[in-house]
Amino acid sequence: MLSPERRTSMAERRPSFFAFQQATPLLVPHLAGIEDPLPEATPENVDVLIVGTGIVESVLAAALAWQGSNVLHVDSNDYYGDSSATLTVEQIKKWVSRINDNKIPCYKNAKLYASNDIGPTCKYKSRSFGIDLSPKIMFAKSDLLSILVKSRVYQYLEFQALSTFHTFENDSFEKLSNSKQEIFTNDTLPLMIKRNLMKFLKFVLNWENQPEIWEPYKDRSLADLLAEKFKLERPQVFELIFSIGLCYNTDAKIPETLQRIRRFLISFDVYGPFPVLYSKYGGAGEISQGFCRSAAVAGATYKLNEKFVSYNPETKIATFENGSKVKVEEKLVLSPSQAPEYSYNMPEQKYEVHRLTCIVEKDCSEWFNGNESAAVIVFPPNSLKSGNQEVVQAIIVGSGSECCPDGTCIWYLFTTQQGPRAELDLDAALEAMEISIIRESSVKIPQDESLVQVSEDGHSTINSFKLGQSFKEYVKREKVQFLFKLYYTQCTMVPPFNVVDPSLFMPSSGASSKFIPSACDNNVIYTAMPSSEISYDEVITAAKVIYEQIVGSDDDFFDIDFEDEDPVTSSNSYGTSRAIQYDENAIEDEEEEDIDMDQGDKDGDNSDVVGKLEI
Amino acid sequence: MLQFKLVLLGDSSVGKSSIVNRFVKDTFDEFRESTIGAAFLSQSIKIKDPKTNQDVIIKFEIWDTAGQERYKSLAPMYYRNANAALVVYDITIADSLLKAKSWVNELKEKVGNSTDDNDNDNDNNNNNNNLVIHLVGNKLDLVEDDPEMRSVATEDAVKYSTDENLLFKEVSAKTDFNIKEVFQTIGEKLYEIRQKELDNNNNKQNKGEINISLPRPSTNDSTSCCS
Ligand SMILES: Nc1nc2c(ncn2[C@@H]2O[C@H](COP(=O)(O)OP(=O)(O)OP(=O)(O)O)[C@@H](O)[C@H]2O)c(=O)[nH]1
Ligand SMILES: [Mg+2]
Repeated sequence: MLSPERRTSMAERRPSFFAFQQATPLLVPHLAGIEDPLPEATPENVDVLIVGTGIVESVLAAALAWQGSNVLHVDSNDYYGDSSATLTVEQIKKWVSRINDNKIPCYKNAKLYASNDIGPTCKYKSRSFGIDLSPKIMFAKSDLLSILVKSRVYQYLEFQALSTFHTFENDSFEKLSNSKQEIFTNDTLPLMIKRNLMKFLKFVLNWENQPEIWEPYKDRSLADLLAEKFKLERPQVFELIFSIGLCYNTDAKIPETLQRIRRFLISFDVYGPFPVLYSKYGGAGEISQGFCRSAAVAGATYKLNEKFVSYNPETKIATFENGSKVKVEEKLVLSPSQAPEYSYNMPEQKYEVHRLTCIVEKDCSEWFNGNESAAVIVFPPNSLKSGNQEVVQAIIVGSGSECCPDGTCIWYLFTTQQGPRAELDLDAALEAMEISIIRESSVKIPQDESLVQVSEDGHSTINSFKLGQSFKEYVKREKVQFLFKLYYTQCTMVPPFNVVDPSLFMPSSGASSKFIPSACDNNVIYTAMPSSEISYDEVITAAKVIYEQIVGSDDDFFDIDFEDEDPVTSSNSYGTSRAIQYDENAIEDEEEEDIDMDQGDKDGDNSDVVGKLEI
Repeated sequence: MLQFKLVLLGDSSVGKSSIVNRFVKDTFDEFRESTIGAAFLSQSIKIKDPKTNQDVIIKFEIWDTAGQERYKSLAPMYYRNANAALVVYDITIADSLLKAKSWVNELKEKVGNSTDDNDNDNDNNNNNNNLVIHLVGNKLDLVEDDPEMRSVATEDAVKYSTDENLLFKEVSAKTDFNIKEVFQTIGEKLYEIRQKELDNNNNKQNKGEINISLPRPSTNDSTSCCS
């Protein structure tokens, strides 16, 4: 429903614009003139001022600009992305020293080692690396992805597949059997377990309608449900909770964790046999730039190197460090990471995300599937020497992503563990990865046929589960060469969550009602800093919450009518029916205990389905 | 078919969007507002291979922009992987040429730097030459009506272009003068460069990573929700 105070949309605004134009002589350029070149100051007034170009602020800027708001979007840095930026090694060096000078709110304890091999005249150039401050993965079925398509921001980006999820246990990596096919062909799984696993997967796709199964476990953990109700054993339980669900610890609650597991399963096979995508040249930093560009196309004005210092809610004037001013007719949106001194209204950022980012001189292709260039590694609670209580997650990005040069690889490790313990856990996880990559890359792969699996598209992949086993006794000889090692702690007001909930991102109500005379941020709306969540799941919700505050309703959030027809977006109905049929078949197969993998074919129309046997 | 990315740069109101619209849709709008809309256009042209005399289709992926260049806040994404740049000024506004020159400098600096050059460290500087920069003086029609309006002499722009090794033409988006020719010249130049690259890099391995096309799911189950 449209709320009464909803502003007029861009389309509604246009006629008046044209009427005005008709009455004015047109050939006078409105911004550039002979005596009066480009204005060096910012525009005199705008509807909305957004400070910080992180991913949430950038999505918001684009949504508002397309909706018809006059947006000024600034950043105090000389690059885009703010807390979601993708930076070069040189940029990271400056960033770290600014954190240690207490110049960047919400970041602390930054420690950096960068090898002398990275430099202008060295083996590696600083700019050959794109290091994410907030590394994330994107599920193939997610609201961010839908908005990327709808807004056409995807056109500015390039995406690649990520299908490998390793779980670390008993000192080795076990590759996730994330497809039905793998479950059936995995000889190490007894038939009973296979059947129970299928039963659970069927249930989880439709858990809301079967409360009788999960409600009795509501106050207990998912692990209990899996073990008691579905008779699954520890390795499968761990895989489901930590690799597929990507949960943080063993107290993962029901039903939220069911939702997390389903997120993975429904994303599988949307674009092919993988659940997750990541963007080339950098993650959130690239996506932020894409939305900023979209906003600019819709009329937003951009200014980097512009540091916001204060806002006066009475005169509605925002002031910048260089003395320029702008009148903000409606709202000022501020990222906590760009909050100036005297920001007494900033919500408390009490949750820590501890990160360790390394660049190693190894391509780490052992960890990637086929021709992919990224993987996820999960260290469940208590799997590390440090006796970790919380999960440590790692995103591995290789040179195919164009984020690092050939022969190198970026490892992003992070944990929700609070306090100084976190660093011990990160170190322990790093050591485990180090040992493992040496072991896997320096031993000749035994000539054992069962180690190599040939997937449907003809690519052969190494069964890393078996590899892990065969290397158990391998003794560490070589060392991994680290080119770069960066520790830092980022703070956020968003607690680790299982399922996205708008209330998590509500700017504290106090901020807009309280008036603190000495504060420079009265009446400012704060965005949320990135949470510890490994995916982009929060981004759209966090942007919508603020959009609604400004516009009055989120009905027309990215409700864009492109004048031209986009030829590529009209293949929906075809795919939809097939996907549903295929799911039903999958379930029937299981119930008849008939493990005939070709069952799904009986409805025809499947000539081009990639990975059709998956869940 | 060969595809190339082309970016537009220049002061506000010099006619960037008008040039693109003339080229892509063959329309001109007297009352065009500062760029709003789908500024991601593509258009194909035909050129002749100078050796075989066969037709080659060249597709331009055109990135128009506004609001980000006003304060020199273009994102690296905008330049990244660009094959050609159209730097536009208005021949009736002297200042717009100054701005065009500063964009040329910036392009030479940024694109030369951002090119992925891990495999060919020794010929770093060659990457600069791979970006085709075409300078364009727009609104020639205004000068034809009233020569007094000209503020940038053709000779000055020609000299600058020769010194900086740029392609150059004066055009009019309004009367469609020289617009197609500009893109034709760029297309031929890009083709020539691509052929040279192919000759030099025959042995270069393609990494073979596959990009995913987001609007084309292989299946699409619209009944399931996600959060
Ligand atoms: N007489 C004449 N007017 C032109 C020509 N090209 C563009 N214009 C006019 O100049 C004005 C600005 O043109 P745009 O194409 O919007 O300029 P732009 O460079 O895209 O401007 P921004 O989007 O603000 O950066 C419009 O009113 C056009 O009608 C031309 O060749 N001759
Ligand atoms: Mg324009």
